[in-house]
Amino acid sequence: MTSEEIIEKVKAGLADAIQDTDLPQGDAVIFVAPDSWHAVADFLKNDADLKFDYFSDVRGVDYLLEEREPRFESVYQLYSIDHQHSIRVRVGIDEDNPSVPTVSDLWKGALYPEQELFDMFGINVEGHPTMERLIMPKGWEGFPLRKDYPLTTETVTFSYNRDFKSDLVKSKPPTR
Amino acid sequence: MGLIDQAVDALETEVDNLKSNVKDAVEAMNYEYSGSLYDTVLTTKLGKVVGWAQKNALWPATFGLACCAIEMMAMANSRWDAARFGAEVFRASPRQADLMIVSGRVSQKMAPILKQIYDQMPEPKWVISMGACASCGGVFNNYSIVQGVDRVVPVDVYVPGCPPGPEALLYGVIKLQEKIMMEAGTDKAKKRVA
Amino acid sequence: MSVTDQGLLHRDKDTMTLNMGPQHPSTHGVFRVILEMDGEVVKTAEPEIGYLHTGIEKTSENKRYVHVIPMTDRLDYLNPPGNNLAFCLTTEKLLGVEIPDRANVLRVIMCELSRIASHLVWLGTHALDIGAMTVFLYCWREREMILDLNEEISGVRMMTSYIRIGGVAKDATRPWLDGIRDFIEYFPAKVDEYERLLTKNPIWLDRTEGVGAFTREEAINWSFSGPALRASGVNWDIRKAQPYSCYDNYDFDVPVLNNGDIFDRYRVRVEEMRQSRAIIKQALESLPEGPYKTPDNKVSLPPRETLHTSMEALIHHFKLVSEGISVPVGETYVPIEGARGEVGFYIVSDGTNVPARVKLRAPSFMAIPGMCKMMEGCYIADVVGIIGSIDIVMGEVDR
Repeated sequence: MTSEEIIEKVKAGLADAIQDTDLPQGDAVIFVAPDSWHAVADFLKNDADLKFDYFSDVRGVDYLLEEREPRFESVYQLYSIDHQHSIRVRVGIDEDNPSVPTVSDLWKGALYPEQELFDMFGINVEGHPTMERLIMPKGWEGFPLRKDYPLTTETVTFSYNRDFKSDLVKSKPPTR
Repeated sequence: MGLIDQAVDALETEVDNLKSNVKDAVEAMNYEYSGSLYDTVLTTKLGKVVGWAQKNALWPATFGLACCAIEMMAMANSRWDAARFGAEVFRASPRQADLMIVSGRVSQKMAPILKQIYDQMPEPKWVISMGACASCGGVFNNYSIVQGVDRVVPVDVYVPGCPPGPEALLYGVIKLQEKIMMEAGTDKAKKRVA
Repeated sequence: MSVTDQGLLHRDKDTMTLNMGPQHPSTHGVFRVILEMDGEVVKTAEPEIGYLHTGIEKTSENKRYVHVIPMTDRLDYLNPPGNNLAFCLTTEKLLGVEIPDRANVLRVIMCELSRIASHLVWLGTHALDIGAMTVFLYCWREREMILDLNEEISGVRMMTSYIRIGGVAKDATRPWLDGIRDFIEYFPAKVDEYERLLTKNPIWLDRTEGVGAFTREEAINWSFSGPALRASGVNWDIRKAQPYSCYDNYDFDVPVLNNGDIFDRYRVRVEEMRQSRAIIKQALESLPEGPYKTPDNKVSLPPRETLHTSMEALIHHFKLVSEGISVPVGETYVPIEGARGEVGFYIVSDGTNVPARVKLRAPSFMAIPGMCKMMEGCYIADVVGIIGSIDIVMGEVDR
């Protein structure tokens, strides 16, 4: 099915759950609210014509700098192995108590990326078996991929900046 | 001539700093190995023989972290044979190794483990920091990469590159062998074993 | 966290907890698995990742597009041109720029050479883990030839950054093309040599046949991709399903087997090496003349000779080097078939010269939960074989 046909089928099956649709550069994209995401996912997986049985990825995006509501978005990419088509679903998530329902009961491959959503953005995935740190060390404070989290904690030292470098050298363990 | 006075003052403070550093270092050294067995029993010539034996049989511990590990494996392979320098036996257990080649970027999560593996190695031990990421953080100056493993373990040889070719790493091993030979039989080598 | 904090010293279980720690010769990088064992049989395997987290995604949000390309090299560090290609294809899709044919063919040659190099590392280390040390030495011998070719064309052995936005970095040179021709004459005999050593070897068969099997449905549900998926009977190769860089011009087979165990994954990858060699041969024969990067100077640098005579070329060069390309607002995702499976970058652009979000879809990351499910019920010796056969690279798992 082409991208336009996919969007028509989805709109026909789930009229009120779809907030918006888009066709950027020929891809099929639908916009869904977090509350209806699990029902949409169920439909996408089990409908005979769509049959999106392969879960490719879920990514989090933080739109803080563009100052739009909702601040976060989790973007899902699904494929159908038999029909060889794909769809992208964008679920907008609010800034306060960000949360989205899990789809790991439908696709086991969603377990790790959803845990990473929590680790990197602080988005709580409801129903996920392990909402813990995955990539950052256990007990790390803060969510690194948010835009208000600083990239680096120390400035680069250059050899001409003698004062800074001599302080740094004093704090290092002695080399033999 | 204000500039010349400034330069003279700067030079004098530098020289004073150096003098006080040297005094501190000599005191620390004397304190550390006063009364060690090595000092009273072995002589310099024997120390040189021991150093020769150590440098020709450097057994690295497998500490391949990232991309540099692949070039370390290439160094151990048939084209750039590390076996001709005695370093082909990569020990899996750090307790049987005397060289740790930190090859790859060290993240905040990995740093305590790096220290633990280093601590598990018996004396005498050396560390080669392979690659830009291990030496200084490399291309990654951010919240998760330790900016240089010398913040965690003392390093003997730094090998630059991203990743350094096996020939560069081999040159680093040769330089380490020269360092071992230079230090052999002297107080520095005794510090390592005591 | 200490051992007692993690609860690893509890005695109220019948099983033994064994830590296969981040520093281990067979974990192919800094990967930690905590195995609950009943004697020698693994009851559960709990993975722990993040020991190589580099923050590349956040760093990319502060670098111009062309500066992100060397960062992508260091993600899946065994297949750097694949990462470069995925990033460049996604950016080019947002830009809407056409890639000339010669550039496409050069990209295909580079990616397939890198696929062969990656599979050689896989075969060498996988065989070494299971005990066949000779294969390790043999595979690196061929890999050195490919790395010499990399060095010839880009100056760097591994992290070539050869594939750029708009085309490739440098035109193909005569020594490079001759070197590739020699390599593809020499290589098939070597693949036969590896197969002679392993495929009918009773020790190899004992250790790999029937071990770590995954059915078709499980492989799809656990989001496997690449050779691990094809060994379980799913005919899904992105070069055929969603072709990019004119892969539909080449005639090659996609090996698909049915058992999904370690032995099938081994056979799929060995056959892929042969097919990659066939693709390179066809690409070399069909290499067209023409520009090696797009003539659109808002995206790629103008040729150096024109800088002396043309004012526009000078201005474009200045803008590209100082400011970089400006990508229109949007978000997109282009997957490619990397050596390990489906690699893709999801890029969100806010209209400036710095991307707003770069996310790598890493095949090894998606494969880890499935891999640990595969380990349940296997012996401890099989754990090493399974990790080797899925071919994980921690650089792309932890990013």
